[in-house]
Amino acid sequence: MVAENLALAFAGIAAFDTLALMIVGVGAGLLAGSIPGFTIAMAVVLTLPFTFSMDPAQGLATMIAVLVGGLSGGLMSGILTGIPGTPSSVATTFDGFPMARRGEPGFALGLGVWSSFCGGTLSAIMLVLFAPQLARVGLEFQPWDFFMLVMFALTVTASLAGENMIKGLIAGAIGLLVRTVGEDQAVGVGRFDFGIDPLLGGFDFIAVLIGVFAFSQLLSDIRDPKSARESLSERGNVRIKIEHLRAIKAIAKRWTTMVRSALIGMFTGILPGAGGSIANILAYDQAKKASKTPEKFGKGEPEGVIAPETSNNAVEGGALTPLMALGIPGDVTAAIMLGALLIHDVVPGPTFIAEEPVLAYSIFIAFFVANFIMLGMQSMMLRVFVLVTKIRMYMLAAVILSLASIGVFALHNSTFDIWTLFWFGILGFFMRQFGFPLAPMILGVVLGNVAELNLSRALAISTDLSPFVTRPWSLFFLTIAIFSAAFPYFQNARVAGAGWTKFYLPAVRIAVTLPFVMMGGVIRPMIGAVCFLIGCFLVFRRLKDAGAPADSAV
Amino acid sequence: MGRLSQDTVIAILLLLISGGLMLASFDIREPDYGQLSPATWPRVVVGVLGFLSFLYLIQSLRGAGTPASVDVPKSGDGTASSGQDVEPAGVAGFFGYWRNVIWCFSLFLLYLLTMPYIGMLIGGVSFAFLLLNALGGWQPRQLLLHAVIAIVAVGGMWALFTFGLRVPLPTGMILPRF
Repeated sequence: MVAENLALAFAGIAAFDTLALMIVGVGAGLLAGSIPGFTIAMAVVLTLPFTFSMDPAQGLATMIAVLVGGLSGGLMSGILTGIPGTPSSVATTFDGFPMARRGEPGFALGLGVWSSFCGGTLSAIMLVLFAPQLARVGLEFQPWDFFMLVMFALTVTASLAGENMIKGLIAGAIGLLVRTVGEDQAVGVGRFDFGIDPLLGGFDFIAVLIGVFAFSQLLSDIRDPKSARESLSERGNVRIKIEHLRAIKAIAKRWTTMVRSALIGMFTGILPGAGGSIANILAYDQAKKASKTPEKFGKGEPEGVIAPETSNNAVEGGALTPLMALGIPGDVTAAIMLGALLIHDVVPGPTFIAEEPVLAYSIFIAFFVANFIMLGMQSMMLRVFVLVTKIRMYMLAAVILSLASIGVFALHNSTFDIWTLFWFGILGFFMRQFGFPLAPMILGVVLGNVAELNLSRALAISTDLSPFVTRPWSLFFLTIAIFSAAFPYFQNARVAGAGWTKFYLPAVRIAVTLPFVMMGGVIRPMIGAVCFLIGCFLVFRRLKDAGAPADSAV
Repeated sequence: MGRLSQDTVIAILLLLISGGLMLASFDIREPDYGQLSPATWPRVVVGVLGFLSFLYLIQSLRGAGTPASVDVPKSGDGTASSGQDVEPAGVAGFFGYWRNVIWCFSLFLLYLLTMPYIGMLIGGVSFAFLLLNALGGWQPRQLLLHAVIAIVAVGGMWALFTFGLRVPLPTGMILPRF
């Protein structure tokens, strides 16, 4: 059965038209990624309207192709011009650009291209291996658990997305609020429509996403008249040959850096709200810390290119894992993928892989194939990428705004969706200006219905609220939601040297013990016991450390 | 407007919006069936928003909030990062500083308002052309370049959706074919 589904999925992806669309998608993603100011999420969200007429597998394959291309596109401009194409490739410029300036651009690009490929491939393997396992766990979830999972996703996104936790949470609440507009899902009663008929249908969340993310981003990019008219780079013609063999040898020699960075990327991807922009910096930092020659970092060290490029490409496999297994997107681009699935009446969740095996396998295969296409196209289109950085931002903004309006109209053949794009573009722009992170809002918009539906289901089963704290998974998510909400305060207090921060991480371990023990069986209580023992050991050691200076002082 | 007062103003605005929406939630019809009233979830969300806004207000009054920025270099998570240029004082300074953004909003609004009359193709091409000129300049050579960009990009997309994807895009009352 698995082989049959796999064969069907492979046949779908290997079809000429799908492959052609994927090649176009990777090319578009690479181009978008190489343009500073054009984020990957923007590229993927703008691709969405084109996929309406495709079947789900083809549409998703195209979007995955854009995503994989976008993840890798940023390295080109980052290495050759010093301007990262996307926030995911910021750390790549730290060593990639110096390496190019000292006369080794071909080697730097080779390292970037092959690291991206390795990161993407490793995360695709993880997606294939872990998503079905996580889905199996997800089958245990009841409405109380799903509701708490959404709350956890929102709090962790809010705590990771910006410097100010309260602003992050407000953004998340605004997202949830946006989703309440229109008819109630359960009984069809209008809410917050203020007598305006189109509001009864609610805001289409794709139009909201494009407005909040793409429209507001473009407005921010063209705000300064001078920089809006400038070319991003004056380097027109480059005659660089990517040094593939040398790069492969260098990466093979530093495989530990590559594997570590891939793991960092995957883990960051699984966490809602933490994407490539965090992963590439984290991986770079860890590579530098682990290096025997950290002083070489920033001057053209190969590991300084391998680490960020592997991690930022590994992020998406991680972000797609909770989406496919639980229906909870790991980041903004995964949220857009969720939108694409919903448009085709496919609702991801724990039963998704079992009920839609061909589509699920198509996503896995498309992810693999896109990485191979990316590898080939990066080498072929190098000169185009550099030329693309000559585009002036105002041209891009004007054209994209026009195209976005056409794409958004095509969602439901409704001009109301273009008005939604416009109003949410303004809202997103002001939120950016006032320092409100957009990721929690987007997650709130995407998950608002899931939260309400599960709360409604939970209360339909029983009006008793105690299962929210007595069910193991619900308690687990509640516990980590509380700790993730406190995380920014922990970070600030740690910098300020507050004593209690030493016990924060041990406390997390001890706190998750109870839900693990409540889950029953053998393995999970054992995991709980291990967490408890490690937590206690850390508390003991830190108490001992805290006492040491006092003793010596005496 | 100082940074502290800016946060305070936003917090007060959010509190007012929360209050207004809470009042509006009492207009939601409550049917006799179903466990969860249609108004419950919106009220919970509005309540949380109001509570967070109150915390934000306290934070802003105590000066603990992160400063809002005036310029937004791109950032993956959509947050603004601290900008280097500062908005000049006065009305002229305000319009000079936000000129491009105001052009964008105004022209997009105009595009939306005129769409029922001139349709999406003419409206879209006009919007792109005017915006390109407003942002890039009005020199004759630029006008030509901008016209080509607008016609090729918007016209191409319109043709793709109309003929390729068979999506009927809005036509205008004046020229019903477009």
